[in-house]
Amino acid sequence: MPIHEKSLIRPENIIEHEELIIDGVDVSGHWSTFINSRAITDYNEEMQDEIAGLAGGEFIHRCWQCGSCTNACTINALNNDFNPRYWIYLIRMGMEDELLINKDIIWQCVSCNKCTYACPRDVNPEGVMKATSHWLELKGHTPKSPSMIFDEGFSEQVFKTGKIEDGLVLRQFFAATGQKLTQTWLVSMLIGLMRKLPLTMLTRLGLATLFRPRTKNWGAASEAINEYVNEKNEENQRLLGLDNLEDRQ
Amino acid sequence: MSKPVLVVGSGPAGLSAAQSLASAGQKVVLVEKEKSLGGAPILSGYAKLVPSGEWAKDAIGGMVKRVEENPLISVRLNNVVQNFDGKPGAFVAKLKDGSEIETGATILATGFTHFDSVNKPEWGFGTYEDVVTTTQVEQMISSGKGVRCPSDGREPERVAILLCVGSRDRQIGREWCSKICCTVSANIAMEIREELPNCHVYIYYMDIRTYGLYEGKYYWESQEKHKVRYIKARIAEVTSDGKRLIVKGEDTLVKRPIMIPFDMVVHAIGMDPNVDNMTLSAVFGVDLEKYGFIDKASSYLNMSQTSRDGVFVAGAATGPETIDDSIAQGQSAAMAALSLLTGFGGRKAE
Repeated sequence: MPIHEKSLIRPENIIEHEELIIDGVDVSGHWSTFINSRAITDYNEEMQDEIAGLAGGEFIHRCWQCGSCTNACTINALNNDFNPRYWIYLIRMGMEDELLINKDIIWQCVSCNKCTYACPRDVNPEGVMKATSHWLELKGHTPKSPSMIFDEGFSEQVFKTGKIEDGLVLRQFFAATGQKLTQTWLVSMLIGLMRKLPLTMLTRLGLATLFRPRTKNWGAASEAINEYVNEKNEENQRLLGLDNLEDRQ
Repeated sequence: MSKPVLVVGSGPAGLSAAQSLASAGQKVVLVEKEKSLGGAPILSGYAKLVPSGEWAKDAIGGMVKRVEENPLISVRLNNVVQNFDGKPGAFVAKLKDGSEIETGATILATGFTHFDSVNKPEWGFGTYEDVVTTTQVEQMISSGKGVRCPSDGREPERVAILLCVGSRDRQIGREWCSKICCTVSANIAMEIREELPNCHVYIYYMDIRTYGLYEGKYYWESQEKHKVRYIKARIAEVTSDGKRLIVKGEDTLVKRPIMIPFDMVVHAIGMDPNVDNMTLSAVFGVDLEKYGFIDKASSYLNMSQTSRDGVFVAGAATGPETIDDSIAQGQSAAMAALSLLTGFGGRKAE
């Protein structure tokens, strides 16, 4: 059936077949456009458990949909597609496709925690937003955000040496995000620095770059941190039913 | 105080009224139309009661035993009052078995009738075996057989409980809230989750009315501890795809139609006026209120009073009521009857 009011229907629900014959009737092309049903035909009972298993999502099952979180939300005031109440419901009923429509804005939560203080059931919506963003990344629905890439490089260095070397952090981050090292702001900062010739500082920087010192007796701490991180990763992997979490990282 | 007080009906309200009167030294004749005492909790086989969690057969059974053993209470089973004449202090009741009872005052504790789900055919009761009522689930639990699909005895993996079946529905002339079904449903949902941890329970609601302290103990507890899911949707239709039941409606919160498969659908049936209320009204000369429950006079000065002087009422005969409140009202009616008979309340029956 031709559709005259396509603007009322989500584009992904409008379907045209280049060649389709049903019971001998040719229904190919534009004049036989189909619309996907909006009906929800099943619940996914795992989804709530997955989010609840990630840090921050533990109390999602308490939600009774009053909307206090959305009312209180800083971001909702700017963009009313940002609706924690709604996303919590979609997760609880396992409406994954519907949640994924908003996958590119869920991470925008600024963690102001107004929702946390407004929630009458102690759901901790801010935590749920964090868990959901994490879930989206782990499941591969969203690419790693630049801030996640930065955090990973940063923490990897700390785990290894107990310290960070600024130059290495920057080089790794720019390489991983495909940016050139000669960023205008970096160049002008370095030129400014050179003009004042802070000899001691430059010597320290140089030595650190060459020798990459470790914090004294860091070995045991490093081992403990890595063990914990691996444990958490494996736990998440089991929880989300992922074959190999490392592949996605 | 030589004439007995006539108590009609032996559910929680009637048992409580009879016991209260006897404990003040007042003789009682307790008339029950069924063949045993206890009313709905016993006759319909309720499981664990709200809010005590005690089994109905222990809790209400204890009340029955106490009444049966009391020498001041004369129990007339399989009997009904067919004629009732006289005035406060001097009524005469004729029973079905031909006996006559002279009584000073009467308490109607005639209870309610469960809503018959056949009156909402679109929700599949009577069409599909696996569509059952809360009363049937109570019986599954209290019999010890557990919650199973009636069609083939399998353990359900997904159960839907539909609230407000026979309540809050002008289409079928039932405009009242039956008051207890939300709490009973939350209670049943928790019992299902405890017996069958892999079975998911969904409750479809318009509002949740687990009022007072039931909020925490039933609504919150079922959601927080037992992970029962509550979905705001008035169900349009229950059908079948040949294998499972299909629950159709609109999910209010996402504004989308739903067609969800379930193994079992439970109707949270409401409380109707007792089907005998028209007869009771004619025999005892008491008015019924708009919906057919027994009407009460002012609640402030005339405790438990009906429209007829000397005839009192208690429990679900007056409208949907909890067991605890029915028991309290039974005591209240007993007090009102005693007050009338002794005259210490300011007015004595002649």
